[in-house]
Amino acid sequence: MSAEVVAGKSGSRWKPSLDTWAVLVAFLLALLVRAGVFKHVPW
Amino acid sequence: MAEVITVPQVQPVQPALRFLRVIPGVLLLAAVGYAGKLLEQNVGAYAKAHHWTFPNIEYVLWAIVLGLVISNTVGVPEIFRTGVATYEFWLKAGIVLLGARFLLGDILKLGGVSLVLVAIEIVGSLAFMTFLGRAFKLKPKLTTLLAVGSAVCGVSAIIATKGAIEADDEDSSFSIAAILALGALALFTFPVIGHFLHLSDKAYGLWAGLGVDNTAEATAAGALYSDAAGKLAVLVKSTRNAMIGFVVLAYAIYWAGKGQAQAVGNKAAFLWQKFPKFVLGFLLISVLATYHFFNKDQVGALANLSRWAFLLTFAGVGLRTNFSEMRKQGLRPFAVGAIGEVAIAGFTLALVYGASKIFGW
Repeated sequence: MSAEVVAGKSGSRWKPSLDTWAVLVAFLLALLVRAGVFKHVPW
Repeated sequence: MAEVITVPQVQPVQPALRFLRVIPGVLLLAAVGYAGKLLEQNVGAYAKAHHWTFPNIEYVLWAIVLGLVISNTVGVPEIFRTGVATYEFWLKAGIVLLGARFLLGDILKLGGVSLVLVAIEIVGSLAFMTFLGRAFKLKPKLTTLLAVGSAVCGVSAIIATKGAIEADDEDSSFSIAAILALGALALFTFPVIGHFLHLSDKAYGLWAGLGVDNTAEATAAGALYSDAAGKLAVLVKSTRNAMIGFVVLAYAIYWAGKGQAQAVGNKAAFLWQKFPKFVLGFLLISVLATYHFFNKDQVGALANLSRWAFLLTFAGVGLRTNFSEMRKQGLRPFAVGAIGEVAIAGFTLALVYGASKIFGW
Protein backbone atom coordinates (compact mmCIF):
# COMPACT_ATOMS: atom_id res chain seq x y z
CA MET A 1 0.00 0.00 0.00
CA SER A 2 1.44 3.33 -0.90
CA ALA A 3 0.57 6.49 0.89
CA GLU A 4 0.58 9.95 -0.57
CA VAL A 5 1.05 12.66 1.95
CA VAL A 6 -0.76 15.90 1.25
CA ALA A 7 0.45 18.63 3.50
CA GLY A 8 -1.96 21.22 4.76
CA LYS A 9 -1.82 24.66 3.22
CA SER A 10 1.26 26.42 4.47
CA GLY A 11 1.92 30.14 4.27
CA SER A 12 5.04 31.47 2.55
CA ARG A 13 5.43 34.49 4.81
CA TRP A 14 9.02 35.55 5.49
CA LYS A 15 9.98 34.68 9.04
CA PRO A 16 13.07 36.42 10.38
CA SER A 17 15.76 34.15 11.83
CA LEU A 18 17.11 34.53 15.36
CA ASP A 19 20.12 36.36 13.86
CA THR A 20 17.87 38.80 12.04
CA TRP A 21 15.79 39.46 15.16
CA ALA A 22 18.96 40.12 17.16
CA VAL A 23 20.16 42.61 14.52
CA LEU A 24 16.76 44.34 14.38
CA VAL A 25 16.52 44.68 18.17
CA ALA A 26 20.12 45.91 18.43
CA PHE A 27 19.49 48.54 15.74
CA LEU A 28 16.26 49.64 17.40
CA LEU A 29 18.16 50.12 20.67
CA ALA A 30 20.93 52.00 18.83
CA LEU A 31 18.36 54.31 17.24
CA LEU A 32 16.71 54.94 20.62
CA VAL A 33 20.10 55.85 22.07
CA ARG A 34 20.82 58.09 19.06
CA ALA A 35 17.41 59.79 19.41
CA GLY A 36 18.14 60.50 23.06
CA VAL A 37 15.40 58.23 24.47
CA PHE A 38 18.10 56.41 26.47
CA LYS A 39 20.51 59.17 27.52
CA HIS A 40 22.53 57.19 30.00
CA VAL A 41 22.79 53.43 30.37
CA PRO A 42 24.40 52.56 33.70
CA TRP A 43 26.67 49.58 34.23
CA MET B 1 -5.08 2.46 -4.92
CA ALA B 2 -3.07 5.14 -3.34
CA GLU B 3 -4.35 6.19 0.05
CA VAL B 4 -4.38 9.91 0.62
CA ILE B 5 -3.42 11.05 4.09
CA THR B 6 -4.08 14.68 4.83
CA VAL B 7 -1.72 16.13 7.36
CA PRO B 8 -3.50 18.92 9.22
CA GLN B 9 -1.69 22.22 9.26
CA VAL B 10 0.07 22.75 12.55
CA GLN B 11 -1.35 25.83 14.21
CA PRO B 12 1.47 28.24 15.00
CA VAL B 13 1.78 29.40 18.56
CA GLN B 14 0.40 32.92 18.93
CA PRO B 15 3.22 35.51 19.03
CA ALA B 16 1.84 36.98 22.29
CA LEU B 17 1.85 33.54 23.92
CA ARG B 18 5.37 32.87 22.65
CA PHE B 19 6.48 36.18 24.14
CA LEU B 20 4.88 35.34 27.50
CA ARG B 21 6.61 31.95 27.52
CA VAL B 22 10.10 33.46 27.35
CA ILE B 23 9.56 35.91 30.23
CA PRO B 24 10.29 33.57 33.21
CA GLY B 25 13.53 32.30 31.65
CA VAL B 26 14.71 35.78 30.67
CA LEU B 27 14.03 36.95 34.23
CA LEU B 28 16.07 33.99 35.50
CA LEU B 29 18.94 34.94 33.14
CA ALA B 30 18.78 38.51 34.42
CA ALA B 31 18.64 37.40 38.08
CA VAL B 32 21.59 35.01 37.75
CA GLY B 33 23.63 37.52 35.72
CA TYR B 34 22.89 40.37 38.11
CA ALA B 35 23.72 38.16 41.10
CA GLY B 36 27.09 37.54 39.42
CA LYS B 37 27.60 41.29 39.07
CA LEU B 38 26.71 41.88 42.75
CA LEU B 39 29.04 39.07 43.83
CA GLU B 40 31.91 40.60 41.85
CA GLN B 41 31.39 43.94 43.59
CA ASN B 42 30.72 42.66 47.09
CA VAL B 43 32.96 39.62 47.52
CA GLY B 44 36.06 41.62 46.54
CA ALA B 45 35.11 44.49 48.87
CA TYR B 46 34.33 42.09 51.74
CA ALA B 47 37.64 40.24 51.31
CA LYS B 48 39.52 43.53 51.21
CA ALA B 49 37.77 44.84 54.33
CA HIS B 50 38.72 41.65 56.20
CA HIS B 51 42.29 41.64 54.82
CA TRP B 52 41.79 38.34 53.03
CA THR B 53 43.77 37.40 49.98
CA PHE B 54 41.08 36.65 47.44
CA PRO B 55 41.43 36.81 43.64
CA ASN B 56 39.28 39.36 41.86
CA ILE B 57 36.65 37.20 40.20
CA GLU B 58 34.83 38.90 37.35
CA TYR B 59 31.03 38.89 37.03
CA VAL B 60 31.47 36.75 33.91
CA LEU B 61 32.78 33.83 35.96
CA TRP B 62 30.32 34.35 38.83
CA ALA B 63 27.37 34.34 36.40
CA ILE B 64 28.60 31.17 34.66
CA VAL B 65 29.35 29.37 37.94
CA LEU B 66 25.98 30.32 39.46
CA GLY B 67 24.26 29.05 36.32
CA LEU B 68 26.29 25.81 36.39
CA VAL B 69 25.42 25.23 40.06
CA ILE B 70 21.68 25.70 39.40
CA SER B 71 21.70 23.56 36.25
CA ASN B 72 23.66 20.70 37.82
CA THR B 73 21.96 20.59 41.23
CA VAL B 74 18.28 21.57 41.24
CA GLY B 75 18.10 21.76 37.45
CA VAL B 76 16.28 24.33 35.33
CA PRO B 77 12.47 23.84 35.67
CA GLU B 78 10.49 23.54 32.45
CA ILE B 79 8.84 26.95 32.84
CA PHE B 80 12.23 28.70 32.52
CA ARG B 81 13.67 26.68 29.62
CA THR B 82 12.22 28.62 26.68
CA GLY B 83 13.49 31.89 28.11
CA VAL B 84 16.92 30.48 29.05
CA ALA B 85 17.31 29.35 25.43
CA THR B 86 17.20 33.04 24.39
CA TYR B 87 20.78 33.48 25.64
CA GLU B 88 21.94 33.13 22.04
CA PHE B 89 19.66 35.99 20.99
CA TRP B 90 21.22 38.22 23.68
CA LEU B 91 24.70 37.15 22.58
CA LYS B 92 24.06 38.19 18.99
CA ALA B 93 22.37 41.46 19.94
CA GLY B 94 25.31 42.16 22.29
CA ILE B 95 27.83 41.53 19.50
CA VAL B 96 25.99 43.90 17.13
CA LEU B 97 25.95 46.63 19.82
CA LEU B 98 29.63 45.98 20.58
CA GLY B 99 30.34 47.10 17.00
CA ALA B 100 29.99 50.70 18.27
CA ARG B 101 33.28 50.25 20.15
CA PHE B 102 35.20 49.34 16.99
CA LEU B 103 36.36 51.84 14.42
CA LEU B 104 36.28 50.52 10.88
CA GLY B 105 40.05 51.03 10.50
CA ASP B 106 40.71 48.80 13.53
CA ILE B 107 38.43 46.12 12.14
CA LEU B 108 40.17 46.20 8.77
CA LYS B 109 43.62 46.10 10.42
CA LEU B 110 42.81 43.40 12.99
CA GLY B 111 40.33 41.66 10.71
CA GLY B 112 43.03 41.31 8.02
CA VAL B 113 45.43 39.60 10.44
CA SER B 114 42.70 37.52 12.01
CA LEU B 115 41.36 36.49 8.59
CA VAL B 116 44.73 34.94 7.72
CA LEU B 117 44.94 33.19 11.11
CA VAL B 118 41.30 32.07 10.84
CA ALA B 119 41.93 30.58 7.37
CA ILE B 120 44.94 28.62 8.69
CA GLU B 121 42.98 27.53 11.78
CA ILE B 122 39.98 26.33 9.76
CA VAL B 123 42.04 24.30 7.27
CA GLY B 124 44.26 22.83 10.02
CA SER B 125 41.32 21.98 12.31
CA LEU B 126 39.20 20.39 9.56
CA ALA B 127 42.14 18.24 8.43
CA PHE B 128 43.09 17.16 11.95
CA MET B 129 39.55 16.39 13.13
CA THR B 130 38.88 14.38 9.95
CA PHE B 131 42.06 12.40 10.57
CA LEU B 132 41.07 11.78 14.22
CA GLY B 133 37.53 10.72 13.28
CA ARG B 134 38.92 8.15 10.85
CA ALA B 135 41.53 6.94 13.37
CA PHE B 136 38.78 6.40 16.00
CA LYS B 137 36.48 4.84 13.36
CA LEU B 138 33.66 7.34 13.98
CA LYS B 139 30.80 7.48 11.47
CA PRO B 140 31.85 9.74 8.54
CA LYS B 141 28.99 12.24 9.02
CA LEU B 142 29.66 12.42 12.75
CA THR B 143 33.30 13.17 11.91
CA THR B 144 32.15 15.93 9.54
CA LEU B 145 29.98 17.50 12.25
CA LEU B 146 32.77 17.38 14.84
CA ALA B 147 35.24 18.82 12.30
CA VAL B 148 32.94 21.72 11.35
CA GLY B 149 32.01 22.35 15.01
CA SER B 150 35.62 22.66 16.09
CA ALA B 151 36.90 24.45 13.00
CA VAL B 152 34.21 27.09 12.52
CA CYS B 153 31.73 27.98 15.16
CA GLY B 154 30.44 25.34 17.45
CA VAL B 155 26.75 24.66 17.76
CA SER B 156 25.50 26.95 14.94
CA ALA B 157 27.90 25.35 12.47
CA ILE B 158 26.87 21.85 13.54
CA ILE B 159 23.17 22.67 13.14
CA ALA B 160 23.76 24.31 9.74
CA THR B 161 25.85 21.35 8.54
CA LYS B 162 23.42 18.75 9.91
CA GLY B 163 20.67 20.10 7.64
CA ALA B 164 22.95 20.43 4.62
CA ILE B 165 24.48 16.93 4.75
CA GLU B 166 21.38 15.18 6.14
CA ALA B 167 23.16 13.80 9.21
CA ASP B 168 21.36 11.87 11.97
CA ASP B 169 19.90 13.65 15.00
CA GLU B 170 22.02 11.38 17.18
CA ASP B 171 25.24 12.46 15.42
CA SER B 172 24.44 16.13 15.85
CA SER B 173 23.55 15.60 19.55
CA PHE B 174 26.89 13.85 20.07
CA SER B 175 28.80 16.65 18.34
CA ILE B 176 26.94 19.45 20.14
CA ALA B 177 27.47 17.76 23.54
CA ALA B 178 31.21 17.33 22.85
CA ILE B 179 31.64 20.93 21.66
CA LEU B 180 29.68 22.36 24.62
CA ALA B 181 31.52 20.24 27.23
CA LEU B 182 34.88 21.24 25.80
CA GLY B 183 33.79 24.88 25.56
CA ALA B 184 32.92 24.79 29.28
CA LEU B 185 36.38 23.40 30.05
CA ALA B 186 38.01 26.09 27.89
CA LEU B 187 36.32 28.78 29.99
CA PHE B 188 38.32 27.68 33.00
CA THR B 189 41.60 26.65 31.32
CA PHE B 190 42.20 29.37 28.71
CA PRO B 191 42.49 32.32 31.16
CA VAL B 192 44.77 30.30 33.47
CA ILE B 193 47.09 29.37 30.57
CA GLY B 194 46.96 32.94 29.24
CA HIS B 195 48.05 34.38 32.60
CA PHE B 196 50.66 31.66 33.05
CA LEU B 197 52.20 32.55 29.65
CA HIS B 198 51.82 36.32 30.32
CA LEU B 199 49.97 36.76 27.04
CA SER B 200 49.09 40.35 26.12
CA ASP B 201 45.39 41.25 25.84
CA LYS B 202 45.74 41.24 22.07
CA ALA B 203 47.45 37.85 21.84
CA TYR B 204 45.04 36.28 24.34
CA GLY B 205 41.95 37.77 22.64
CA LEU B 206 43.11 36.36 19.31
CA TRP B 207 43.76 32.97 20.88
CA ALA B 208 40.34 32.82 22.60
CA GLY B 209 38.62 33.82 19.35
CA LEU B 210 40.52 31.17 17.38
CA GLY B 211 40.67 28.34 19.91
CA VAL B 212 37.26 28.33 21.64
CA ASP B 213 34.52 26.95 19.41
CA ASN B 214 31.16 28.21 20.54
CA THR B 215 30.61 31.97 20.23
CA ALA B 216 29.16 32.38 23.74
CA GLU B 217 32.10 30.55 25.35
CA ALA B 218 34.65 32.41 23.18
CA THR B 219 33.11 35.74 24.24
CA ALA B 220 33.13 34.67 27.90
CA ALA B 221 36.69 33.26 27.76
CA GLY B 222 37.90 36.58 26.30
CA ALA B 223 35.97 38.71 28.82
CA LEU B 224 37.35 36.62 31.70
CA TYR B 225 40.86 37.80 30.78
CA SER B 226 40.17 41.52 30.21
CA ASP B 227 37.78 43.89 28.53
CA ALA B 228 40.21 44.45 25.62
CA ALA B 229 40.80 40.71 25.19
CA GLY B 230 37.02 40.16 25.21
CA LYS B 231 36.54 42.72 22.42
CA LEU B 232 39.19 41.08 20.27
CA ALA B 233 37.91 37.56 20.95
CA VAL B 234 34.49 38.65 19.64
CA LEU B 235 36.04 40.16 16.49
CA VAL B 236 38.08 37.05 15.70
CA LYS B 237 35.20 34.71 16.51
CA SER B 238 32.90 36.75 14.25
CA THR B 239 35.47 36.39 11.46
CA ARG B 240 35.33 32.61 11.99
CA ASN B 241 31.53 32.73 12.01
CA ALA B 242 31.56 34.58 8.69
CA MET B 243 33.22 31.52 7.11
CA ILE B 244 30.41 29.17 8.10
CA GLY B 245 28.58 29.33 4.76
CA PHE B 246 31.65 28.43 2.69
CA VAL B 247 32.58 25.44 4.87
CA VAL B 248 29.01 24.11 5.04
CA LEU B 249 28.64 24.58 1.26
CA ALA B 250 31.86 22.63 0.63
CA TYR B 251 30.66 19.73 2.81
CA ALA B 252 27.16 19.82 1.27
CA ILE B 253 28.70 19.49 -2.22
CA TYR B 254 31.01 16.70 -1.00
CA TRP B 255 28.18 14.63 0.51
CA ALA B 256 25.86 15.34 -2.44
CA GLY B 257 28.66 14.05 -4.72
CA LYS B 258 28.57 10.80 -2.75
CA GLY B 259 24.81 10.64 -3.21
CA GLN B 260 24.20 10.97 0.53
CA ALA B 261 22.75 14.50 0.58
CA GLN B 262 20.64 16.69 -1.68
CA ALA B 263 22.48 18.67 -4.36
CA VAL B 264 22.86 22.39 -3.70
CA GLY B 265 20.95 24.41 -6.30
CA ASN B 266 21.58 28.14 -5.99
CA LYS B 267 24.96 28.42 -4.26
CA ALA B 268 24.74 32.19 -3.71
CA ALA B 269 21.33 31.79 -2.00
CA PHE B 270 22.76 28.93 0.08
CA LEU B 271 25.69 31.12 1.20
CA TRP B 272 23.36 34.01 2.10
CA GLN B 273 21.03 31.70 4.02
CA LYS B 274 23.91 30.32 6.11
CA PHE B 275 25.72 33.65 6.58
CA PRO B 276 25.43 34.89 10.18
CA LYS B 277 23.53 38.18 9.80
CA PHE B 278 24.73 39.51 13.15
CA VAL B 279 28.23 39.86 11.63
CA LEU B 280 26.73 42.32 9.10
CA GLY B 281 24.95 44.16 11.93
CA PHE B 282 28.22 44.39 13.87
CA LEU B 283 30.01 45.85 10.80
CA LEU B 284 27.20 48.32 10.08
CA ILE B 285 27.16 49.67 13.66
CA SER B 286 30.94 50.09 13.55
CA VAL B 287 30.64 51.99 10.24
CA LEU B 288 28.07 54.31 11.89
CA ALA B 289 30.37 54.79 14.92
CA THR B 290 33.37 55.47 12.64
CA TYR B 291 31.46 58.25 10.84
CA HIS B 292 30.32 59.81 14.17
CA PHE B 293 26.66 58.91 13.86
CA PHE B 294 26.87 58.41 17.64
CA ASN B 295 28.56 60.87 19.99
CA LYS B 296 30.94 59.75 22.74
CA ASP B 297 28.22 59.39 25.39
CA GLN B 298 26.03 57.43 23.01
CA VAL B 299 28.90 55.04 22.22
CA GLY B 300 29.30 54.55 25.99
CA ALA B 301 25.57 53.85 26.32
CA LEU B 302 25.68 51.29 23.47
CA ALA B 303 28.75 49.62 25.03
CA ASN B 304 26.85 49.28 28.32
CA LEU B 305 23.78 47.87 26.55
CA SER B 306 26.12 45.32 24.98
CA ARG B 307 27.47 44.43 28.46
CA TRP B 308 23.93 43.87 29.77
CA ALA B 309 23.17 41.62 26.81
CA PHE B 310 26.37 39.64 27.49
CA LEU B 311 25.42 39.39 31.17
CA LEU B 312 22.30 37.44 30.17
CA THR B 313 24.40 35.35 27.76
CA PHE B 314 26.94 34.32 30.40
CA ALA B 315 24.16 33.31 32.81
CA GLY B 316 22.67 31.24 29.97
CA VAL B 317 26.01 29.52 29.27
CA GLY B 318 25.99 28.18 32.84
CA LEU B 319 22.27 27.39 32.98
CA ARG B 320 22.19 25.32 29.79
CA THR B 321 25.34 23.27 30.65
CA ASN B 322 24.32 20.01 32.29
CA PHE B 323 27.19 17.59 32.76
CA SER B 324 25.06 14.49 33.44
CA GLU B 325 23.16 15.06 30.15
CA MET B 326 26.51 15.34 28.36
CA ARG B 327 27.82 12.12 29.94
CA LYS B 328 24.83 10.25 28.48
CA GLN B 329 26.03 11.06 24.96
CA GLY B 330 28.92 8.58 25.16
CA LEU B 331 32.66 8.72 25.49
CA ARG B 332 34.11 8.13 22.03
CA PRO B 333 32.97 11.32 20.27
CA PHE B 334 33.91 13.21 23.42
CA ALA B 335 37.40 11.66 23.35
CA VAL B 336 37.84 12.63 19.69
CA GLY B 337 36.59 16.13 20.47
CA ALA B 338 38.85 16.44 23.51
CA ILE B 339 42.00 15.28 21.70
CA GLY B 340 41.14 17.51 18.75
CA GLU B 341 40.39 20.55 20.91
CA VAL B 342 43.61 20.23 22.90
CA ALA B 343 45.58 19.93 19.64
CA ILE B 344 43.69 22.90 18.10
CA ALA B 345 44.23 24.99 21.27
CA GLY B 346 47.98 24.22 21.09
CA PHE B 347 48.07 24.87 17.34
CA THR B 348 46.22 28.20 17.59
CA LEU B 349 48.38 29.24 20.55
CA ALA B 350 51.47 28.60 18.41
CA LEU B 351 49.88 30.60 15.55
CA VAL B 352 49.12 33.56 17.82
CA TYR B 353 52.54 33.35 19.45
CA GLY B 354 54.19 33.42 16.01
CA ALA B 355 51.99 36.35 14.88
CA SER B 356 52.71 38.26 18.11
CA LYS B 357 56.46 37.90 17.44
CA ILE B 358 56.06 39.08 13.83
CA PHE B 359 53.80 42.03 14.64
CA GLY B 360 55.38 42.87 18.00
CA TRP B 361 52.18 42.58 20.14
